[in-house]
Amino acid sequence: MEIKWRNWLKNGWRAVALAPVLLLSGCAGNTYWIFDPKGIMAKTNLFYMIVDVVIMGAIVGLTALLVVWFMWRYKKGKNRGKYDPHWSHSNTIEVFVWGIPIIAVGFLSYFAVKGTFEINPYNPTVITHHMKPNGDPVEVDVIATDWQWLFVYPQYHMAVANELVLPVHTPVFFRLTSSAVTTTFFIPQLVGMIDVMPGMRTKNALMSDHVGEYQGIASDFAGAGTSWMTFKTKMVSAGDFSQWVQQVQKAPGSMTYASFNRFAQPYIDVHHHVVYFSAVEPGLFDHVMAEVMRGKTWPLPPMMTENMVEYMQKQAAEHRD
Amino acid sequence: MLVDLPGGWSPLLGRLAWSQIPYANPILAPLFVAVVIGAIILLGLITYYGKWTYLWKEWLTTVDHKKLGVMYIIIGLVMLFRGFIDGLMIRTQQVWAVGPHSTGVFGSLHGYLTPFHFGQVYSAHGLIMILLAATPLLVGFMNIIVPIQVGARDMAYPYLNALGLWITAAAAALIMISLFVGDFAHNGWFEYAPIFELQYSPGVGVDYWIWTLQLVALGTTLGGINILATVIKMRAPGMTWGKLPIFVWASLSANVIALTSFPALQVALALVAADRYLGAHFFTAGMGGNLMLYTNLFWIWGHPEVYFVILPAFGMMSEIFPTFSEKPLFGYITMVLASMAIAGVSWLVWLHHFFTMGAGPYVNTAFSVATMLVGIPTGVKVFNWAFTMYRGRLTFNAAMLWAIGALFLLLIGGMTGMMLAIPAINYMVHNSVFVVAHFHSMLLVIVYAIFGSVLYWFPKVFGFKLDEFWAKTMFWLFSAGTALVFVPMYMLGFMGMTRRLEYVFNTSWQSYLDVMELGIVVYTLSVLAFFILLYVSIRDHAKNRVGADAWGTSRSLEWMTHSPVPFYNFAVLPHVNERDELAWRRQHGIDQVRPAHYDDIHMPNNTGVAIIMGGLTFVLGFALTWRIWWLCIVSLLAIILLMIIRSFKGDPGYIITGAELQRMEEEAYRREAQIADSHHSHPVSGGVVGNAMAYQRNDSSK
Amino acid sequence: MSAHASTVDPKKAELWDTHHHSHDVISTRTLGYFLYLLSDGMLFATLFAAYGVLSYQHSYFGGPTPAEFVKPWYTFAQTIALFLSVLAYGFGMNALKHKNKSGLINGMLAAFVLGVVFLVLDIHDMSHLYSMGITIASSGGMSAFMVLTQVHATHIFFGLIWILVMIAQVMTKGFTEETVGRLLTLRMFWHLQAVIWVFVYIFVYLWGYIS
Repeated sequence: MEIKWRNWLKNGWRAVALAPVLLLSGCAGNTYWIFDPKGIMAKTNLFYMIVDVVIMGAIVGLTALLVVWFMWRYKKGKNRGKYDPHWSHSNTIEVFVWGIPIIAVGFLSYFAVKGTFEINPYNPTVITHHMKPNGDPVEVDVIATDWQWLFVYPQYHMAVANELVLPVHTPVFFRLTSSAVTTTFFIPQLVGMIDVMPGMRTKNALMSDHVGEYQGIASDFAGAGTSWMTFKTKMVSAGDFSQWVQQVQKAPGSMTYASFNRFAQPYIDVHHHVVYFSAVEPGLFDHVMAEVMRGKTWPLPPMMTENMVEYMQKQAAEHRD
Repeated sequence: MLVDLPGGWSPLLGRLAWSQIPYANPILAPLFVAVVIGAIILLGLITYYGKWTYLWKEWLTTVDHKKLGVMYIIIGLVMLFRGFIDGLMIRTQQVWAVGPHSTGVFGSLHGYLTPFHFGQVYSAHGLIMILLAATPLLVGFMNIIVPIQVGARDMAYPYLNALGLWITAAAAALIMISLFVGDFAHNGWFEYAPIFELQYSPGVGVDYWIWTLQLVALGTTLGGINILATVIKMRAPGMTWGKLPIFVWASLSANVIALTSFPALQVALALVAADRYLGAHFFTAGMGGNLMLYTNLFWIWGHPEVYFVILPAFGMMSEIFPTFSEKPLFGYITMVLASMAIAGVSWLVWLHHFFTMGAGPYVNTAFSVATMLVGIPTGVKVFNWAFTMYRGRLTFNAAMLWAIGALFLLLIGGMTGMMLAIPAINYMVHNSVFVVAHFHSMLLVIVYAIFGSVLYWFPKVFGFKLDEFWAKTMFWLFSAGTALVFVPMYMLGFMGMTRRLEYVFNTSWQSYLDVMELGIVVYTLSVLAFFILLYVSIRDHAKNRVGADAWGTSRSLEWMTHSPVPFYNFAVLPHVNERDELAWRRQHGIDQVRPAHYDDIHMPNNTGVAIIMGGLTFVLGFALTWRIWWLCIVSLLAIILLMIIRSFKGDPGYIITGAELQRMEEEAYRREAQIADSHHSHPVSGGVVGNAMAYQRNDSSK
Repeated sequence: MSAHASTVDPKKAELWDTHHHSHDVISTRTLGYFLYLLSDGMLFATLFAAYGVLSYQHSYFGGPTPAEFVKPWYTFAQTIALFLSVLAYGFGMNALKHKNKSGLINGMLAAFVLGVVFLVLDIHDMSHLYSMGITIASSGGMSAFMVLTQVHATHIFFGLIWILVMIAQVMTKGFTEETVGRLLTLRMFWHLQAVIWVFVYIFVYLWGYIS
């Protein structure tokens, strides 16, 4: 029932709310990732955005009209409205002036609280409430380095660098940490942002019913390589996913803590290298976290990207490119 | 040396070395040459016209709150210009570096700025705009206006006021010198843990950032104490709290915030310094440090700081709207309550800057609701301004246009702010350019209010009005620029574009970036219009002279004294009877009544100590940045010694006799009478101005 | 001015200040200094918050914790020294009331000496820790411990310089409006540092000792 109401609201208001922006964007296809969610988390985000925009837009729009009307009506010399040089107080207006924002904030607070629980990264009820009792979720351990993403699939004992492949119709649960500095994990069409911090573990989750390729971004500045620290997220069917898993498990590379130590050296991923690792040291995620908490860092050289071209040559000369 | 530093260190020069001067940089080297030539020309001109004594006696050593305020505003405008150039550079880099096939020059793969330089540019842009443009501009206005509006001859502590100015100037100098000596921080204006640690930011950039901010914090705290004490202790007789002008209330609430929040920043920065200089582990990821502590401490200051800058801007709008609506501010008491409510709630919302950090839903909802509470008093303010116009007689001159522009921007910023306040929405747009567009909307409210105030109060300070045509031209150009830059930015936010991208990976964003580049070009034209505005107004200043009540419809005390304001503000302090004293006097035809006789008054002496202190704090900041320990010790000792010497000497001040005052006052009245005469033949364009010059006095008022 | 009728008769209203009331220099000064102390209090509040966050067991990261090196009686001696210093300052200010210059100077000298005792005990304590290899760089917890205690000690250090300056000023200038104002503000400063020390002693030293 609730879902239906929501769908109505979504479809009805979405068209109205988005019409101006979509018109402005011309016919270049829908590039508005936030308005075109493909996962249940992102869809929930959009629902609350529409609620908020409708409520606030009504108030702000009416206020703007009021101001414009006053500007027109009371323009000096036009004598459209009565001039009262002393009028400066009215209890009735005061009640409205305080009342309208209070009611609006009260109303929005309800949605704020509800929404926060629905997509709480640690326990998103929009996903967990619809999970089958034994629905087998996919777990992914995300480790951000300076400046690459390592996605460990502990269930399959394998890992992939800079590419995320996930099955549709399946809940996916992430554990996230970072080796060096703080950044943020973000796939605009699938799931909102969550910070990724060294020596700490955050969580997030997503679920999507749409096969496709979606852009993943490191959305908090993490240093020189942030702009290239992107990754493609491929949502594939269950069959394709198991095929892909088999393919990765045949790859030659493996990932132990020692090789992670080399992997985590500062590296600007200009060419978007995707690397498969068929074997991963069990508990690598916790191992990295423990090492960082023990004070392990991967320092940067001074003025590293003062000359980017030179830096890329150096990176290539080190056979890391 | 207390920590292992990459690169060299010598006892004499610390980390400073020739290699730290970016003489090979194709952008900075020509700029440096231009700055040197400009400085030589400027100094040469001052010497040629023999103005050094004038400059030293009248400006550099002054303790006059109006002159200090003017200097604050000059610093603010210069830094606003620098910040604008940074913004121009950011936009140009982003419009250039789109997609893998975009070209690159000057050693960068795409565009013309490498990540190392791009980071410095946007970090400097943010820090400068908030702390060295908006803050000094607002502090400058508070400095000029608050003492006159409360009917005082000066601030409570004139020397402290000068000290605050010169420390702020030292901070501005420190960030400017980072252009040419070493580098600036490249991780954003608020940095973050642990990227500012020595391992991830080995250069001096973060150190420049620490000491620049520390100096700003110190200067602003001193200024805040001064304004609070002035409002509490120096009000004219009869001015009860209920009669306080609304801008004074705004300044009061803002400075309560400044006084209580800046220590949090100072501590946060000191702890960063402890990490970087002493090898402490406050914000490191390992060794028991806690990097989230930094984020919390920074925003515990950072969010109140936002209201510290917006509340005076609201106060400015509350002064401009009534004057050009020709009626009192609607809902004075709720306006005051709203300001105080904003100041109070400002302490309870800091976590909304990092909803995505992964706090639990209970914490996030608490801060979400608290954040939305800010919308209530802010909404009240918007409605009150609207109802100030209701039943008014509106004049749309340039000052009013800026205020109305601020009102509309506030509506947009408020609307998007309410979106960001809800975590379920915030997760999607946090760290995206949507947030950037939101806080630029809010900060532009301040910029609009400031330009409105420049136009509104300029005649009070300098005795002549700014040119209406060019002021309006600048307003429309600036507003067009705002629309062209920030509408596409909001749209890009909905497209998922994140902030601080040195290289834009998605080519479908190109056309929006093109529009934004066009917008920044229009902004540049508005900057040009501002320079023309200043030139034309100064050229025609004789034509645009005004008397005490420049607009003819102003309501507060500052318009009761001469324009420009004499250095003693009021020959005899006014006795306040009503909330809008001048409007009340005008209504009853007693606004021209002069004091019956003049008594001796006591004024503070000028002092060169403040500027020397400012210079020493600059040296201290520079020495700390470069870890030149001997120079740190020398400059610190010099500061302490100078404080002690000054405290021994004290300042007896001097006396202006009543006869002398009477002579100066009569001269001022004669001058104003002439202005009134000349204006009858040359009515000044622009709204109320033409019929505002009510300077014909009848004999009964003598 | 609002819509209500004005209560002041414009014909009889007083328009200019005729009483020449001058502002009370000392009370303006002490107010400003009180405001400064407010920000100083906020500074310590923030430091205490940082200490609170960084005083969990894991913040010491297996390294030394206050429980291992705090000697409550030693720090109690510091407390007594500082409190006696404040008391001595109080006696001095009592002498000021009676315009007793030598009484004031004696009180301030005593306050100075006791303050030096406090500082020497603190420096001795810190060098002792240093000799055991416990420094600001030992762990996050120790960083917070060191910075909080030593920021307080720095305040005491500058307070001591100020006391010396005031002794010299009273000796050369006597009781002028300026020196009396400064004596009053210095008293506020000195008291606040003692109050903050109470918190440092209880929450950092004693709490650290028992936990």
